[in-house]
Amino acid sequence: MAPADSGLQPVLCGEVRTSVLRTSEALTARTAVQLLNLRPDEHVLLSERPNLRVVSPQLLTGVDCRLPAAGGSRPRAVGTVAARAVLTEGRVLQTSAFARLVPSEGSHRRAWGHYLLRPGVVEPLARHQARDVVDGFLAAAPLPGGVLNPGAVAERLLDHVLRHRLLDQRAPFKSGRTRLRWAALPAAEGAGASIERFTVAADGLRTVALRTPVADPAAVAALCEDLALHDWLLTTLLALVERSRLGSGDGEAVLAALRPLVDHLLHLWMPGARVPDGLSGVWETLEKQPGFSRQWQTLVQRIRDQVAVQTAPLSRRVLASS
Amino acid sequence: MTEQIFRETTAEPRTQSLPLAHVSLELGHLYMEDFEDGPDRLREHFARVKPWADAAHQAAAVMSGGRRARVSTCFLIDDYFTQFSSPRELVPLLLGEAKAAGLEIDYLARESACAQADGVALAAAVESRLVESPTEGSDGTRPGVREVGWLSNGQRSPASDAGEAMGRVVPWTPPSEAGARRHSIFVDVELWNEDPRRTWSCPFLAAVWQLARLGLLRHRGNPVLEPRSLRPDQTLPETWSALPPLLRLNDSAAPFAAYRTTSVLPSRFLPIEHAVRVVLSQVEADATALRQVAERATAEGIQVPADIPDRAAYVFYPGP
Repeated sequence: MAPADSGLQPVLCGEVRTSVLRTSEALTARTAVQLLNLRPDEHVLLSERPNLRVVSPQLLTGVDCRLPAAGGSRPRAVGTVAARAVLTEGRVLQTSAFARLVPSEGSHRRAWGHYLLRPGVVEPLARHQARDVVDGFLAAAPLPGGVLNPGAVAERLLDHVLRHRLLDQRAPFKSGRTRLRWAALPAAEGAGASIERFTVAADGLRTVALRTPVADPAAVAALCEDLALHDWLLTTLLALVERSRLGSGDGEAVLAALRPLVDHLLHLWMPGARVPDGLSGVWETLEKQPGFSRQWQTLVQRIRDQVAVQTAPLSRRVLASS
Repeated sequence: MTEQIFRETTAEPRTQSLPLAHVSLELGHLYMEDFEDGPDRLREHFARVKPWADAAHQAAAVMSGGRRARVSTCFLIDDYFTQFSSPRELVPLLLGEAKAAGLEIDYLARESACAQADGVALAAAVESRLVESPTEGSDGTRPGVREVGWLSNGQRSPASDAGEAMGRVVPWTPPSEAGARRHSIFVDVELWNEDPRRTWSCPFLAAVWQLARLGLLRHRGNPVLEPRSLRPDQTLPETWSALPPLLRLNDSAAPFAAYRTTSVLPSRFLPIEHAVRVVLSQVEADATALRQVAERATAEGIQVPADIPDRAAYVFYPGP
């Protein structure tokens, strides 16, 4: 049974932006570290197993605004939103901004130093229903002005990183940015993480509602970055396959359109690669329904079949002329 | 949860812990104008500092709960805004005058070390850690309201020409201090200017100096501005840049960094130190360094204020 809603439950919320890195060659580990060196005195985290993932230091943005609410009043809240940039295989850039909402002890804003000692925590100054805040956060797109907006923080960071001089601004294929907004309430005692819904709205905004036993916002944000990455991969692959007019008959045009996918995207699929045990239930659910990997494998198989079919006559011609 | 079997150290950085004294006691800041007034000025300075230094030792003894208090003393020489004299000439004079007043200087720092020390750009790193206090209505959609190179303790007056451009006169509204008690004391601190080279302001470097003395600075997890002694065969150099950024003068001194700082300064430093508090109250210090200090304090049974500006104490003595 889910715990009863009360104003005292910590809520995690955040937003992820995902984009292709605008550079003709995927970045090596070394250049990726340079790109994400957002704070000169801190480490850029680098992990090479099971794939190359580079994570920037965490940056803070101060906020003093209202919390979203589906029905009730919008309480004022003060604190900091944490943000970071993540680069996967030197190719897919994500920025992620998130906060943990922890009820304040008083109803007045404290000295700023109080909030700086709690990085990534936003303290509501009035009582509120956790469920109401989550519903308000995941319902409204776009969020009204004056209401906590981690997506704006993520968006600004994405623009900042994409303007870096290390990037030649030539993306190997056309693709869009995706936005994924998420919120997590605590899971019932002893229960693992679960996903309550994953919605794709008409304007492209993805919303994810979670229940998690893990109170570490960075770990839950990492899970959501992983969800956003794979959702972006599927979305991008679908759009590119559609644009390549697979099966139209113009073999060379189809090959030219599919080539960058083979070069830059197909090897990136690795759902749940770094998701901690306590959160892995979310992927299991999504694999059952709608079945992200099933759809991906089907698409990849189609692409490989097309490449094989289209290159067969070409190689026959090469063989005949030799 | 099962134990993690595979680990990558590049994915799990470490932050080195520092030894800490109870109090870092600053016995003075020396600028060219003080030096130009001759040795009498230094003598007078140390004579005025002495009773307050004694009081600081007594206060540290109270803080340490009756155990022997670890107090380290330091002195800062400006070699950033103006370079004057030389280490070879000045350091013996300084130490001699301090000793004559009954004071011992354990560590000598160069002001330029607060901008850059041992190849690490400390001031730029601290600037990248500023997280401005948000004004009401800040929802994350706009970047911080900081004017580039400035940091305030509240909300500025709106720019007057913006209203006129729209064809109407906007009445003046006062600036306000965040968290003011009834009335505002609004301060806007210039962090640096470019003329044409980036020059950090004195209060900003003084804020870096406080963070160093509080043991809260790291560069990728490693300590910065580590004290070094001269080798036995080494004499004091002719140029300031040849002197270690933080020179240890007393081998048996307590550690340079401390839980708290006390600075004994002439009263003209009061506005600078007010600006230092404005900066310190908006610095997001290294979280691991903060935790290490807190854990050591708990283990020693010592109280350390949570807010960084409250860890710094001052004595402003009358005089120039």
